[in-house]
Amino acid sequence: MTLPGLAFRNLRRNLFRVVLTVIGVAVAILAFVSLRTLVWAWTSGGEWAAKDRVVTRHKVTFVMTLPLRYYEEVKQAPHVKLATFANWFGGKDPNHDKEFFSTLAVESKTYFDVYPEMSVPAEQLAKWQENRKGAIVGDVLAKKLGWKLGDRVVIQSGIYAGDWQFDIDGIYTATAKSVDRSTLVFHWKYLNESLPDRAKDQVGWIVSRVDASGHAADTGVAIDKIFDEKDTQTLSQDERSFNTSFLAAFSAILKAIDVISVVILLIMLLILGNTIAMGVRERTNEYGVLRAIGFLPRHIALFILFEAMFLGMLGGALGLAMAYPFVNLGMGRWLEENMGSFFPYFHVEPSIAAMGFALAVILAGAAALLPANQAARLKVVDALRRVA
Amino acid sequence: MIPIRYNIRSLAVRKTTTLATALGIALVVFVVASSLMLVTGIKKTMGTTGHKDIALVMRKGSDAELGSVVEEPSIGIILAAPGVSKTAKPAGVGEIVVVAAMEKIGAEGVTNVQMRGVTDDVLQFRPEVRIVDGRPAQPGTDEVIVGKQIRGRFKGVELGQSFDVKKNRPAKVVGIFEAGGSSYESEVWVDRETLRSAFGREGIVSSVRVKLESPASFDAFQLGIEADKRMGLMAQREVTYYEKQSEGTSILVAAIGTLIAFFVSVGAMIGAMITMYAAVANRQREIGTLRALGFSRRSILGSFLLESMTLALVGGLVGTVAAMGMGFVRFSMMNFASWSEIVFSFDPTPGILGFALVFAGGMGLVGGFFPALRAARVSPVAAMRA
Repeated sequence: MTLPGLAFRNLRRNLFRVVLTVIGVAVAILAFVSLRTLVWAWTSGGEWAAKDRVVTRHKVTFVMTLPLRYYEEVKQAPHVKLATFANWFGGKDPNHDKEFFSTLAVESKTYFDVYPEMSVPAEQLAKWQENRKGAIVGDVLAKKLGWKLGDRVVIQSGIYAGDWQFDIDGIYTATAKSVDRSTLVFHWKYLNESLPDRAKDQVGWIVSRVDASGHAADTGVAIDKIFDEKDTQTLSQDERSFNTSFLAAFSAILKAIDVISVVILLIMLLILGNTIAMGVRERTNEYGVLRAIGFLPRHIALFILFEAMFLGMLGGALGLAMAYPFVNLGMGRWLEENMGSFFPYFHVEPSIAAMGFALAVILAGAAALLPANQAARLKVVDALRRVA
Repeated sequence: MIPIRYNIRSLAVRKTTTLATALGIALVVFVVASSLMLVTGIKKTMGTTGHKDIALVMRKGSDAELGSVVEEPSIGIILAAPGVSKTAKPAGVGEIVVVAAMEKIGAEGVTNVQMRGVTDDVLQFRPEVRIVDGRPAQPGTDEVIVGKQIRGRFKGVELGQSFDVKKNRPAKVVGIFEAGGSSYESEVWVDRETLRSAFGREGIVSSVRVKLESPASFDAFQLGIEADKRMGLMAQREVTYYEKQSEGTSILVAAIGTLIAFFVSVGAMIGAMITMYAAVANRQREIGTLRALGFSRRSILGSFLLESMTLALVGGLVGTVAAMGMGFVRFSMMNFASWSEIVFSFDPTPGILGFALVFAGGMGLVGGFFPALRAARVSPVAAMRA
């Protein structure tokens, strides 16, 4: 019989209380892991960004367009291997008008070469190139809205008036985790020819692939220099910076979620501390006996600490066991389908799971420090005197 | 008969445990009350922005002023439509709305700030807007006035400072305005012609607002505007527009808040349960004595429920008071609908504070129910022997 072994078996003495505590800790860990995954999924879009792509947009705001002739000049910039452009169409399906998804008018010949992780079967791509009203949609979007190959769909836009008809010529799948599988892509020419002269020949942003990822930053600077003295300036960033720059807008929510994660850990600490203190108080007499037969103060302290850490481990394990199905199958699936543009990939990351478990164990230990210290310091005589 | 004083004083005896549980409940109540306050704050900001007697005209199908385009000649036709006030001066304004990326102070990166190109008579059209610092901008110049919620939050957006609207187009901040807590307070107001030339919006505006004779005149106005299909415009009440704008954001906050509230309240209830079970277990003899004295099972049940609810209410009170403090915090967020940043505040309404206390009591009730049941089942003879 070892000290840890004894500590573990002691848990069985008040099984009911131990079970309640373990459930409490498990719920706290479940909440913690869910929130951290939410923050991680939201902010780490930048982690998977391609290192060899540079996004060039209007310097004042992403919402304003660049003249088409800028595209020709970007293509000529040093280190630019290939370039494409896209416009935000702002479309929605009038039959499902609460569903948000991206709709983009793109440069037909080059878009899928710049974004090879959007994978389209060759015959579908060829058909799309032939059809000026053609559209290629993500597989998640097609499933959600019930679209199949060959369907004719109507899209309305918040920016461009009228009903726009498209034929679903292709469905793309993703070869990388970070790809938004809920986008509708169509020909920029089709958009442009329908606009009044005043609004023609405008592109939303230009994406270039550089010949080596080390050159991304320099290429961006070089591109901006071309347009610096012109009427409209550009801002070129590598794809990762581009993605993370959107996060500043949400910094307040992310900070609030961080605060709440700490609150959850505090609540967990309180539950654990309460249970451990109760247990220690009840067994003061026994600790006195243990000391009387020769155990040292540090043995008592370790005894209490081990018991607490086992509680933490059990709670952490149960919490993770609940978190995996909840996040991966429940919340994750719902978010990927309904907010796929923001959360293309929502699963429990091993590092977050490990952090949750470790925190449960560490905080349990921390909660036990004070009671353990007090119990160890108690004089044997006083301990034996305590009845309850 | 419930031995109230016995229960209340029992709480005081076991101070540490009582405090720990009450603190847990206080934290939960704080989180729940704060998220409710934020949702209310969002609705209030967007709600006060709209007036019942103002109609907003945009291009048909546009979700937001940002994406809408109205040709300038249409402004005259809109102002002549039925239902427009004949006495208000001005009867309506046509404004240009753009967003500009500006650097935040104190956080990494840039966010979009909404800029409104306004006419000279904008302050007459919106009487609720007052200049609280500085002075109004001179028409036709590069001077701008800035809403009080964004002052000092972005580089160059403070009285006397200037920032670049576009390269080599600096704008000088000459005044700070207040607009009754509405979303205008998160905007920069620029002279319309200045904005027009800086952003190439010749001959068009984003939206037109008109003052109606009365809120009831809206239907006639809407018919008049939408009847002319060539113009391709749509009219809605300003209130309706702003309600829709806040929907996406408030739903997101409400969803996250509900998820969190659910988890933390379960955690706190488990904490309360543990405490009350331990209390019941340790006071077997006392309970037995009370039963022997003649207190009925129902009184014991009631008394322990009371004890647990008191415990929860103490925590709830602390949490509610702390949440009221959030009323001083400003929370800035991206509003998806307008693609620009809006500053919201936490709105501590009496309704929310009342709900928070009731919620705390509820947690005490649910958490304490089973322990109280166990206490009620104690047999006096067995208890006194223990």
